[in-house]
Amino acid sequence: MLIFREPIEGIERPQMPADVVIVGGGPAGMACALRLSQLIDAHNAAHPESQLSKENIYVLEKAREIGQHCLSGALLDPRSMRELLPGFEAEAPLDAEVAKEAVYFLTKKSKFKLPITPPPLRDHGNYVISLNRFVKWLGGKVEETGITIFTGFAGSELLFEGDRVTGVRTDDKGVDKEGQQKSNFEPGYDLNAKVVILAEGPRGSLTKQLVSKFDLARDANPQTYGVGVKELWEVPSGRIAAGEVIYTMGWPLTAKEYGGAWIYGSKGEGGKDNIVSLGFVTGLDYADPRLDPQRVLQEFKQHPLVAKLLAGGKMIRYGAKSMPYGGWWAIPPVAGNGWMILGDSAGFLNSARLKGIHLAIKSGMLAAETAFDALKKDDSSAATLGEYQKKVESSWIKDELWKVRNMHQGFEHGFYAGMFHTGLQMITGGRGVRNRYPAKAGHEHMHKLAELPADGGAESHLLGPAKGDGKLTFDKLTDLYHSGTKHEEDQPSHLVIDDTNICNTRCVKEFGSPCQNFCPANVYEMVDDVSQPNGKRISLNPSNCVHCKTCDIADPYQIITWVPPEGGGGPNYDGM
Amino acid sequence: MPDTILVVVEQREGKLNRVSWETITAGQAIASATGWILEASVVGSGAAALAAEVAAKKVAKVYAVESPKLEPYTPDAFAFALKQLISAKQPKLVLMPHTYQVRDFVPKLATAMGRTVISDCIGFKYESGKLVFTRQMFQGKLAADVSFNSEAPWFATFQNGAFRGDKAEVGASAAPVETVTVDIADNVIRNKPQEVFKEAKQAVDLTQAEIIVSVGRGIKEQKNIEIARQLADALGADLAASRPICDNGWLPMDRQIGSSGQTVAPKLYLALGISGAIQHIVGMKGSRTIIAVNKDSEAPIFEIADYAIVGNLFDIVPPLIEEVKRAKVGS
Repeated sequence: MLIFREPIEGIERPQMPADVVIVGGGPAGMACALRLSQLIDAHNAAHPESQLSKENIYVLEKAREIGQHCLSGALLDPRSMRELLPGFEAEAPLDAEVAKEAVYFLTKKSKFKLPITPPPLRDHGNYVISLNRFVKWLGGKVEETGITIFTGFAGSELLFEGDRVTGVRTDDKGVDKEGQQKSNFEPGYDLNAKVVILAEGPRGSLTKQLVSKFDLARDANPQTYGVGVKELWEVPSGRIAAGEVIYTMGWPLTAKEYGGAWIYGSKGEGGKDNIVSLGFVTGLDYADPRLDPQRVLQEFKQHPLVAKLLAGGKMIRYGAKSMPYGGWWAIPPVAGNGWMILGDSAGFLNSARLKGIHLAIKSGMLAAETAFDALKKDDSSAATLGEYQKKVESSWIKDELWKVRNMHQGFEHGFYAGMFHTGLQMITGGRGVRNRYPAKAGHEHMHKLAELPADGGAESHLLGPAKGDGKLTFDKLTDLYHSGTKHEEDQPSHLVIDDTNICNTRCVKEFGSPCQNFCPANVYEMVDDVSQPNGKRISLNPSNCVHCKTCDIADPYQIITWVPPEGGGGPNYDGM
Repeated sequence: MPDTILVVVEQREGKLNRVSWETITAGQAIASATGWILEASVVGSGAAALAAEVAAKKVAKVYAVESPKLEPYTPDAFAFALKQLISAKQPKLVLMPHTYQVRDFVPKLATAMGRTVISDCIGFKYESGKLVFTRQMFQGKLAADVSFNSEAPWFATFQNGAFRGDKAEVGASAAPVETVTVDIADNVIRNKPQEVFKEAKQAVDLTQAEIIVSVGRGIKEQKNIEIARQLADALGADLAASRPICDNGWLPMDRQIGSSGQTVAPKLYLALGISGAIQHIVGMKGSRTIIAVNKDSEAPIFEIADYAIVGNLFDIVPPLIEEVKRAKVGS
């Protein structure tokens, strides 16, 4: 019997007043906290008579340590960081400046280099970073300001009064598998905040609550996502220079799926050029429910271009994270009565450039300016916080996203149509054939098994679990081991399935239980059970979860809700 | 009447809980900061003997609260007796150690008196006539200052280790001990104490096992674990399992081997129906000899096994049990 994590009712919770609560200590949340501190410092220096305090500004971070759940490629466009901390290059952990880039179109055995690198993928001047190390550094800066970061605490619920967000409830600790309180039970705190800032990353669980409660996405395109599956490799020195960037399109995907790979050369200990970050982003709008994004990465690595690069090397870390690439039209309102939404939670990601960190940081800075005004005026109503919305729309965030507003929608009918639309959009300032291309939610593209060739057809090499040779390619459990993920085992499942009967009776027949395939962490399993009509029953391994949110996004029935597990649990993305 | 502080020391079966000295130290510190008078109390039958021990410390007075109904401990009787004492003596502040027993009765006591408790404090401050207690929030990441805005008596409990018990000051002469006899009616006590809960017996320590028989998903059903148990018994081995078995509750969690369980290195490790995911392997790869039984010839367990038996464990294990038994008889 599966017991799911749910809010515990009828208990008294410690109440704590707060000025600002930022949910999520990634680049957006940290930049927001840092900017807010800068503004308060400047204000306090200029106005000795009306001092503002930083004491009641809090950042909630579900990871045990700052940065531990941050995963990205990653390339950093330094634009926003230069605004936040001029001269940051001198002290930030930047692995290498991009010096060389190439884009390839791959077929199974060959590669075709694009004669010119398309402008969005020109990365000179950007830096190869480990987002984990970068955020750790940024978090250290935040802690120096006196703002408190509560690591190991997740935002598990929003608090409302009427149409106003009035705070955040943190996770209940010490709840056992059956949902009963253990001897170490500690109820979550109610942080009653003037301003709540959601910086949870893609598909934020509180953002989802908020958007659904107020139907905020009613005028937006449905957000569409990809899942990036990443491995970090240590290879013999000299294979790829630190700062070399390779993007690929095509194989192993067919023209029907959206996605592509990145390969970045980076530096290891002692500054040696021996670290490779590589990953494959698969659009979560593919048709065949048997497709497995972790398998896609394994197939990709067998291409001669990649296999040669990795031969004799060692995989040192693994992880996965979803990313929103619906673009400008998929962004819901980002401010309202008591709340603001930042970064990937809002959908600030440039899908043409495959970059969002700089936008996340910028959005954090803009929200900080608005939060600062709210504290000064002691008014965090929609009228005041709505300024953030206007700031975003008059900032370079919009300039950048407006030009690519129809980019991903153009690919809804495959690669060739996508290339046509992209070309057209490039010469029409992002317009293409119309100002706003519509979109369909990714899970609606999934087909039932009966509509697909039994052998998988052209996609057969992407379907089902990867076997792995243990050297170049790995099965999912082996990869997962390298994510370092760990959770308190004795707690209710934080993957909340509305109705497991759908899994056991309908999904298994209609879609063949795609959760087993799209989850890059082996959380979902169909186990034998003779008492079920189809002989299979859903079983969960929640402690395998790497917090990528793919299940919440890709499930064709939309009955899976990802909620934060007990704070402190999750992957260990050291160096990712 | 001057303000007083009453420390309730904890005893169980006639023995003082040592953490009580910490609360005495805390009481002495608050008394010296505030100028209030420190008193102590021992509750329970036979309290008089312990009260004499407490009276050696620097306190103004010790109350020995006695009633035959206080033995054995029940939260009803303790709350009732303390309410009588506190109502009679009217201390301003009541201090206790934050022990399991206090956690058991203090909510009842405070509620009965219409007061609240500041629990699990780690310190106090006395600033411009205001007594403030410090308690930890967010698992120690934040210290909150909390004070009472209600009428006395105030209740506070101190965390274990917040004060040094060995720093409790000894008095110049023994403090007077006043015996307070409380009358507890029969119908007050609704609790029926059972045997005192003992710590669960030592969790299974598989790291010391010389032979381990370990089962995995290949065992199929809970009832089949019996054949693995029979093999373990025959070999004098300990029984262990991979994660799915413990997840299903077929064997207790403390028998799980692997990255989320124990790491073992026995002389012989028999893996029955275990595929050998890396999460399991890291917990047993140091075993001197590994025998693996699995029907899938490509199971990763075979990569580290010294002896690989490809086959159905239900065909292999029963004759193996017989062979082991026979060999034992022979030896």
